[in-house]
Amino acid sequence: MRANLVHNPRTILALALLGASFVASACTPVPPYQRGPLAHPTMKTSDPAGVGEAHARAIQEGAMGGGFEVGGGCGCN
Amino acid sequence: MRMQLTQAVHACVVVSLFITLLPTVAHAQEVAEPVPEPAPASKDSAYDVAAGSELATYADNDHVFVVSPSIAGNVSKPASGWSVGANYLVDVVSAASVDIVSTASRRFIETRQAGGINGATQWGKLGVSANGNVSVEPDYGSYTGGASATYDLCDKNFTALLSYYHGYDIAGRHDTPWNVWNHQINTNGVKLGGTIILTRATYLAIVGDLIFEDGDTSKPYRYVPMFAPGTVVTKGESIANVNRDRLSARALEQLPTDRQRYALSARIGHRFSWATLRMDERLYTDAWGLKATTTDGRFIVTPTQRLEAGPHVRFHAQGPVDFWQRAYTMRTGLDFPALRTGDRELGPLVNLTGGATARVLMGPATNPRKFVLGIDANVTSTSYLDDIYLSQRTSEVIALVVEVAL
Repeated sequence: MRANLVHNPRTILALALLGASFVASACTPVPPYQRGPLAHPTMKTSDPAGVGEAHARAIQEGAMGGGFEVGGGCGCN
Repeated sequence: MRMQLTQAVHACVVVSLFITLLPTVAHAQEVAEPVPEPAPASKDSAYDVAAGSELATYADNDHVFVVSPSIAGNVSKPASGWSVGANYLVDVVSAASVDIVSTASRRFIETRQAGGINGATQWGKLGVSANGNVSVEPDYGSYTGGASATYDLCDKNFTALLSYYHGYDIAGRHDTPWNVWNHQINTNGVKLGGTIILTRATYLAIVGDLIFEDGDTSKPYRYVPMFAPGTVVTKGESIANVNRDRLSARALEQLPTDRQRYALSARIGHRFSWATLRMDERLYTDAWGLKATTTDGRFIVTPTQRLEAGPHVRFHAQGPVDFWQRAYTMRTGLDFPALRTGDRELGPLVNLTGGATARVLMGPATNPRKFVLGIDANVTSTSYLDDIYLSQRTSEVIALVVEVAL
């Protein structure tokens, strides 16, 4: 499984293209003065689940990962 | 009985909270003024100090009950771009689940304590953060440290993320010295992703996780019943029938001693003038053959400056690990299957969660977030698709939240 994912050239190419298009599309900028809605506290990119909900989720699901806790932010400041 | 007691306690807490909050909400609606967006945290101070507490309870129809009080605090200096924080929680678990009963064991009560510290700073376009966490219970310890970096590109329209953490876990057994019996697990995790601003009200975040675990994570108390070849064991078979049909020999759980996990996740957030929509999707696979999809959606309505509330739904479906069997067979000569488990979270299952969240912002008009009271309530229905003992479980998590900005 690991070998398939890491060493498959098509997978690497697809991920590289996805990443490049992701970055490229970001360079159609929204000026800072237009980002008011993004600054609303409910728009944080972090997981809104509390510790209790997150713990229950970790126990009840066999999957993990996907947290955005340290990620990005809206770039509003 | 315990479930009924739990529901009664929850009902009392919920009713009490809303009786307390109703006058405040009514008053808030009367005096609500059309301020476009919430005011920032106290600007009259060079430092922002915030604290929060959560009291969460978990209960399910498999006789498991958990109470988790937690506190967290954070100090930041927005002008300099740094912040430090700490958190602490206690889990008190009381369980008499079907897995415990099936091994003729009694209800157990156990306490876990966990704490963490974190810090972050910003140097121009570069943001750096680090954190450390410790979790301790009588027969298990977990120690994690990590760091991450973010970098703003395209005039902050795109923020790239790279993070790494290392975890060290040690599992022991009750009444056995650590130096006599222990399993050690080392985990390395890498996260790579970014957040992009799509429109003036929409962002998209994508992150990939690579997690490598090295060590034996088999549970030292989990016995797996063995059956003779040809024995028919139906889904959800009762404890009595399993005990009648199984062989006398039982084997402890044995899992592979390493695991590579891969997850690709996306989150999109959109702000309407009166509400926020957040949708998450996670695709997951690992070296044990488990594949899963998780979809999570929240719709938070903000009808006034004082209230944020709305529904939450979550759907999770997964297939089994490669070595999953409802009933493991043993050949003569104690020839156990090399890999075996009774962990339902490694089998095929579907989780459907429905819930709601509410936050009442009770601070002064200049900063309503100075004092926040909230409640989150979620009910999860789990269908186990290929298990003995249990084919369905209903659980609930209710959390009361207080947040204060000093």
